[in-house]
Amino acid sequence: MRRHRVLPYLLVAPTLCFVAVFTLLPLGEVLVGSLFKQKLNIPKYQHPVFNGLGTFADLFGDPDFLQVLANTGIYVLVLIPLLLIVALGLAFLVEAKLKGLAFFRLSIFHPTVLPMVSAATVWMFFLTPGYGLWNQALRILGYTGPQNWVGNPSLALFSLILVAFWKNVGFLMLFFLAGLQGMDRSVVEAARLDGAAGLRMVTRVILPLIRRQTLFVTTIAFISAFQTVDHLFVLTQGGPSGRSTLLLYYLWEVRFDRMDIGRADAVTVIMIAVLLAFTISNFLMSERNEK
Amino acid sequence: MKRLAIVCSLLILGFAAVFAAPPVEISLAYPVAVDAPITAMLKGWAQDYMTQNPGVKVTLVFSGGYPDVKTAVQTAIQGGAKAPTLAVMLATDVYDLVNAKYVDSLDALVAQAPGGQAFVKDFLPAYMGNSTYKGKLWSLPFQRSAVVLYYNADLFAAAKLQPPKSWDEMGRDAQALTVDGGKTRWGIEIPTENPYWTFQPLAIGAGKNVYTDDVTVNFNAPEVIDAVQFYLDLSQKYKATPAGVQSSWGSSTQNFAAGKTAMIIHTTGSLAGILKSAQFKVGVMAVPGRKAGSLASVTGGGNLYLTAGHSPEEQKAAFAFAQFLLDPARVAQFSQATGYIPNRLSAGKTAAFKAWLDKVPQAADAVAALAAAQPELATQNLNGVKTIFNKYLQSAFNGSQSPKEAMDAAQKESDKALDDYR
Amino acid sequence: MKSNAATLVRFAFLCLIAFLMFTPIAWALAASFRPPTVPFALGNVFFAPSLSLENYAKALSLAPFGRYYVNTFWQVGAIIAAQLVTGSLAAFAFARYRFAGDRLLFTIILLQMMIPTAALLVPNFSTIRFLGLYDTIPGIALPFFGSAFATFLLRQSFLSIPRDLGDAAAIDGCRWDQELRFIFLPTAKSSLAALVLSALSFHWNDFLWPLVITQSDTARPLTAGLVRFTQMGEIGAQWGLLSAATMIVTLPLFVVFLVFQKQFVRGYLSSGIK
Repeated sequence: MRRHRVLPYLLVAPTLCFVAVFTLLPLGEVLVGSLFKQKLNIPKYQHPVFNGLGTFADLFGDPDFLQVLANTGIYVLVLIPLLLIVALGLAFLVEAKLKGLAFFRLSIFHPTVLPMVSAATVWMFFLTPGYGLWNQALRILGYTGPQNWVGNPSLALFSLILVAFWKNVGFLMLFFLAGLQGMDRSVVEAARLDGAAGLRMVTRVILPLIRRQTLFVTTIAFISAFQTVDHLFVLTQGGPSGRSTLLLYYLWEVRFDRMDIGRADAVTVIMIAVLLAFTISNFLMSERNEK
Repeated sequence: MKRLAIVCSLLILGFAAVFAAPPVEISLAYPVAVDAPITAMLKGWAQDYMTQNPGVKVTLVFSGGYPDVKTAVQTAIQGGAKAPTLAVMLATDVYDLVNAKYVDSLDALVAQAPGGQAFVKDFLPAYMGNSTYKGKLWSLPFQRSAVVLYYNADLFAAAKLQPPKSWDEMGRDAQALTVDGGKTRWGIEIPTENPYWTFQPLAIGAGKNVYTDDVTVNFNAPEVIDAVQFYLDLSQKYKATPAGVQSSWGSSTQNFAAGKTAMIIHTTGSLAGILKSAQFKVGVMAVPGRKAGSLASVTGGGNLYLTAGHSPEEQKAAFAFAQFLLDPARVAQFSQATGYIPNRLSAGKTAAFKAWLDKVPQAADAVAALAAAQPELATQNLNGVKTIFNKYLQSAFNGSQSPKEAMDAAQKESDKALDDYR
Repeated sequence: MKSNAATLVRFAFLCLIAFLMFTPIAWALAASFRPPTVPFALGNVFFAPSLSLENYAKALSLAPFGRYYVNTFWQVGAIIAAQLVTGSLAAFAFARYRFAGDRLLFTIILLQMMIPTAALLVPNFSTIRFLGLYDTIPGIALPFFGSAFATFLLRQSFLSIPRDLGDAAAIDGCRWDQELRFIFLPTAKSSLAALVLSALSFHWNDFLWPLVITQSDTARPLTAGLVRFTQMGEIGAQWGLLSAATMIVTLPLFVVFLVFQKQFVRGYLSSGIK
C-alpha cells in the first residue's frame, strides 16, 4: 500500500516538530554554548569567547560543583528506592478489599494534587526549629538532637527527600496498584500452590508480572527527581554551605543569579548526559526483557 | 481588489495611529511581601497618577520577591521583550545590573526633570550608598530597611536589666533571659539561614565592615573573625542561643512575638508585623558593638531602577511617576503602613509622620538606628560572593571549621570569584 | 482468605499511615483559620482560641485567584488535549507501521522525555519570544504540545494489540483513522487515563517555567501566583496567610478529586497500564 510510505511520517510529524523546536534546537544551542565563556555581568565576557572544554575542566575542578553532584547522587539514590519500595508496599496494603479503602487511598494520594511549592511551604512549618511539629514528634520519640533540620548540613538534604517522598509516594503507588490489579491472578495462585510466599513471592513472581509498571514508575520517579527543585526554592535555597544544592537548582543559580551563561550551558550538558545514561540503560534493559 | 482594500485600510490605520498619539505606557515591577498593605496603596497611587496625567498608562506588575523581579527583568530583556519600565530590585544588585546592561542611568532624566537635582539630594545619605557606580546615578532608594536588635522590654524590666550596651552585656543579658536551656525561652536569636546580612552588624560592631568596595572583601580581617567567634560564644559561652545554623528568618520573629526569645537581630521591615502580634512592650535599637557604647547596623532593601530598552518618552514618563511615588507625603504614608524607614529627609518632617512617631516610638528608634548603619555587602558578582560567604559562615557556625579557617577560605574563594572584575 | 487478625493489623497500619499523611494538610487547614494575631508557639500550633477568616480575606485581596484558576485550567487543558492528539497519532505510527528511520525517529522523540524542559528554560524562552507568545497562556503551553512521554506510553499500550487485528481491519477496508479510533484507542483507555493524570499533576504543579515565561496576572497560573505568598521577603513567615493561599489553590481540585474519586480510580485501575 503506497500511502503507507508517507502516512507514518505525517502521523509522527506533529510530535516531531514540537520536539525539534523545543528540545533538539535548544539542545544544539546549549552544546555550542558550553564551549564559550560568556558572563553577562562582566563587561569583557559580555560576548561569547571561545573556551573549548575549559568550562568543563573548571566545573570538575570546582569543589562546589562536585558537592552538587554528590548531593544529587545521594538525593536520587535515597529517594528513588525509598519511593519505589514504599509505593509498592502501599499498593499491596490498599489493594485487597477493606473498610474505608477509599479514605486510605485518598490519604496516600492527596499530596499529588498539591503543587510542590505549597507542599514545601507546609513542610517548612513542620521543619521549623522549636515549635515545628516534626521536632515535637521526634521529642515524643525521645530525640532531642538538632532542631533546625533545614539548616543542619547533614539533615537539609534529608528534609528535601522527606518532602519529595511525601509528595510523590501516592502517585507512584497508583501505578503499582494498577499493575497489581491487572496482573494475571492464575500465575500468582499457581505460585502460591507451589509454596511461594512472602518476599520470594514478591521478587520472583509479582515483580516480573508488573515489570512494565516498574520500568514506567522508575523512569518517571527518576526524571521528576531531577526536574523538580521547587522545594529547594522554598526550604533550603541549597544551603547550608551548599549541602543541599541539587543539579537543576545549581543550574538556575548559575544562569540567573550569577549570569554565567557558558557555565550554565555546560551544567545543562552534564545533566543531560546523566539523564540520558540512566534512562537509556533502563529502557534498553526492559526492551531486552520484552523479547 | 481585495489586496488594495487591505493596503488602503492599513495606511489609514497607520495615519490614525500617528495622529492620535496613544498614551505612553509604563509599568512598575514590585516585589510584594506577603503581608504588605502596599498592594492596595500602590494601586491607588497609580490610579491617582493616571487621573492627573491622562496621557500616561501605568501598569503594576507584582512578583513574589526580589529574585523574581530580577529574573523577570533579565528574561524579558534577553528574550527581546520589554521589561517593566521601572523595577524595585535590591540596592546591592547595582553592579550586576549595570554590567549586564539591564538598567539605564538616571542622570539625563534628573537633569531634565523640573526640580530633579533637589529631588535626588533629599534622599537619606545612608541610603544613597548603592545608587552610584562608574560616576553615574542608577537607582533611587525605594523601600529601604536596616538590621536592628529587637528586645522584649517587659522581660528586661522584670529581670531588672537595661538594654545591652556592648557585646558582653548582650551576651550576659541573653544568658540571664534564657530559660530552661532554651526549651522555654532563648536569650537571643540571629537568623542564620542566609546569614551574611544579619552577621554584618556583628562585624561592623567589631570595627570592620565585611567589604570595602566592589572588588574588595574583608572576610578574613581579624575583626570579622572575632565577630564569628562572638556568634559562637553566644551559644557556647553564654548558652543563650541555639547552637549552629538553627534560627530561621521566619521563625525568629514568630518566636520573639510569642515571647519564646528575648532578643532577635532582624530587619526594620518586620517592625509592623512584630508590633501587631507581640503582646508586650517591644524595644528597638541598633545592635551593640564590641566596645561599650558603640552601636552597629547595616542597611538593606530595594531601590527603584529604570530598566534598559525604553523610548525617551517612556523614560521621561517613568521618571515622573517615580517622582510622584517618592513624594514626601507618600513616602511617609508608605513608612507608616510598612515600618520601612522613610528614605527621604523631607518625609520625616511631615506632620502626619511626626504624629505617627509619637504614637509608635519604636519607629523613631528604628530611624535612629540608621545613624550607626554601614552599607550592605555589595560587590561585583554579588551572588557568587554571597554564596561563598554564606557557605563559610555556616561552616563556622556549625563548627565544621574554626572561624579563622572558614574566613580564610571564604576570602580566598571570593578573591578568585572577583578576579575577572579587577 | 486471610484471617481477621491480619485484616485488623492491616487496618490499624493503614490508619497510622493515613494519620501521618494527612497531618500536614490538616495543619495547613487549621492554620489557615487561625487569627493572624495569635502567634504560633510550642504547644498550640494546631488550635487557636478562635477561628477567623481574616487570612482568606487577605489572601484573596492580595492575588486574583479566580483569574489564576482560569489560566491554569486553559493551560493544562490545552496541553492535555494537544498531547492526546499528537501522542496517539505518533504512537499509532510507531506501533502499527514499519518505516524507514522509525527507530531513529522514536529515539529522537524519546530524547525529550529524558531532558526536562526546565533544563532548557533559557533557549526555550527565546523561542517563545520569537513566536511572539511571551506572557500568554499558549506561550506556557506550547513547548509541551508534543510529548515523548505520551508517545512512549501509548506506543507501549498499542503494541499489546495483536498485529493481525489491525491487518484484518485494513483488509476489511478500514481507514487508518478508523483503525486508530475504533481498535487502538478503546483498548488503550487505561493508558490514556494514566497520561491525563500525569499531565494534569505535572502541569498543574509546574512552577519554574510559567514563572519565567509570564510577567502579568493575565497569564500567570496558580503556582506562579502562589509564589507571592511563599517568598517572605524581609518579613517573617506568615504561616496563616500562606496556608490560606495554599488552601484556596488546592481545595477545589481536592473537592473534584473527592467527588470523582471512585469513578476515576476504578476506571483508571480497571486494566492497568499494559
